Amino acid sequence: MINIAVDGVSAAISPTLQKDLSLSGAFSLGQPAGASYIISGDGSGGSFHGLVKDRSSGVVLSKSYSGEPRAIAHQFADDVVQTITGHPGIANSTIAFVSTRTGRKEIYTADYDGSNVRQLTHDNGISVAPALSADGRRLAYTGYLSGYADIYLVDLASGRRERIVKFPGTNSGAAFSPDGGRIACTVSKDGNPELYVIGVNGQGAHRLTHTHGVESSPSWSPDGREIVYSSDETGSPRLFRIPSGGGDAQAVNTGFGFCTEPSWSPDGRKVAFTIRQGGFSIGVTDLGSGATRVVSPDGKDAVWGADSRHLIYCNGSSIVLLDSQTGRSIPIVTGLGNVSEPTWSR
Amino acid sequence: MVRLLIRCMKLSFLPAFAICTVLSLSSCALFKKNNGGEGGADGDYVTGTPLPERQEGTGFMSDNVNRSQFQPVYFGFDSFTVSDAELAKLDTVAGAMKRMPNNIIVAGFTDNRGTEEYNRGLGERRAEAVREALIGMGVNASRLQTVSFGADMPADPGDSEAAYAKNRRAEFGVVKK
Repeated sequence: MINIAVDGVSAAISPTLQKDLSLSGAFSLGQPAGASYIISGDGSGGSFHGLVKDRSSGVVLSKSYSGEPRAIAHQFADDVVQTITGHPGIANSTIAFVSTRTGRKEIYTADYDGSNVRQLTHDNGISVAPALSADGRRLAYTGYLSGYADIYLVDLASGRRERIVKFPGTNSGAAFSPDGGRIACTVSKDGNPELYVIGVNGQGAHRLTHTHGVESSPSWSPDGREIVYSSDETGSPRLFRIPSGGGDAQAVNTGFGFCTEPSWSPDGRKVAFTIRQGGFSIGVTDLGSGATRVVSPDGKDAVWGADSRHLIYCNGSSIVLLDSQTGRSIPIVTGLGNVSEPTWSR
Repeated sequence: MVRLLIRCMKLSFLPAFAICTVLSLSSCALFKKNNGGEGGADGDYVTGTPLPERQEGTGFMSDNVNRSQFQPVYFGFDSFTVSDAELAKLDTVAGAMKRMPNNIIVAGFTDNRGTEEYNRGLGERRAEAVREALIGMGVNASRLQTVSFGADMPADPGDSEAAYAKNRRAEFGVVKK
């Protein structure tokens, strides 16, 4: 933990900024005396200039921001994290999830800390399996408006929606490629649920798997070359990785028998997934060493944030933000009925 | 030479699967969950009978679909094997389909003890196992659609073994002419 102090930042920005810096997990916030870095800033809503100085008053970050106070605080917080730690922050990001608040499953979006909750879909049916693009501008989800499960693409700024995958059978579980140009998903038109990669315009569908089991929940490697997913071809569902352009699948050995819903970390080093052993728990496998550890004894559907350190997952009644290094967990979305299937922009 | 071999395997595989389906559905476990560890492998073989084009505007929950004509087929935990005990239900459906012109949408469902997206895949796999069995009994593949609702439409919303058993199912939606 690096000692920092937030000093002389306006009341419109400071509370959000301090919360963001605290939630990053990288800092201990205290008084200026003894701090390695001093965070200050001029202005409030509309326009703001942020400054970070080191112990010898050297300026390490000086940058202007404009927009809503909360958005400014999130952007400044991420720049502070990046400047001091060298790693991306998670503050300026969007999450989405499924909630039963209305009595039906609909898709909602929110800031990473659970504020600004918005109901995105009003399908009054079953709207599930949301996936945000890395830039947070687009969301794909599974909807049953046609009577079958199809994949829809929503432009979040305009609200424009189109049905992009509508093959016979069930189309579900979209995941955006890191560049946002393609989705991986499960398609059953061939008579079995298989993994496909398809352009976000719905064109160029390419089948990746050929098994008798169920392939589901693809997640891309950060370079876009591989996809990790779950397959029950050999019994209970387990994790596999496969080249996104096609090729041989390779088992990801986690040591657990029932593993689903993997998420590949943005730094490429780890895969988080759901373990079913009686209840659900969250595991993380280090792809380099092969070591697996349980990072949360309950919860499911974990997904990595941009810092490859925090995860969000659901435990039924809440979405939880988990620091996978310290184990600190904070409920960020509560009181919205049953919540599930979180996704997180980077 | 290798390509020729693969083609032969592909050809011989199909009848083998069909026979297996007709004679003993439970032996299909060999295919579904015990093929020697090549899970997810990109092999050059067929894994199911392709679905026909959808009839747009008609889905399993549509008003013009009769969902109560046939008994649901039930499954074991995390399984898409149609058990011998459930086979008589499929005989009934296959027999009726030979006498009536209607198409059927097979809908697959799961209990809530898996993760959501895996359950959607498992429900679809159950629907397609039922579809494949009906095809094996002589029903034309073009008359059978599938859809999965995963754990989202339980027959019994309870959290008991009895409820789970009722929810692991495939239902038949007869599309009215």
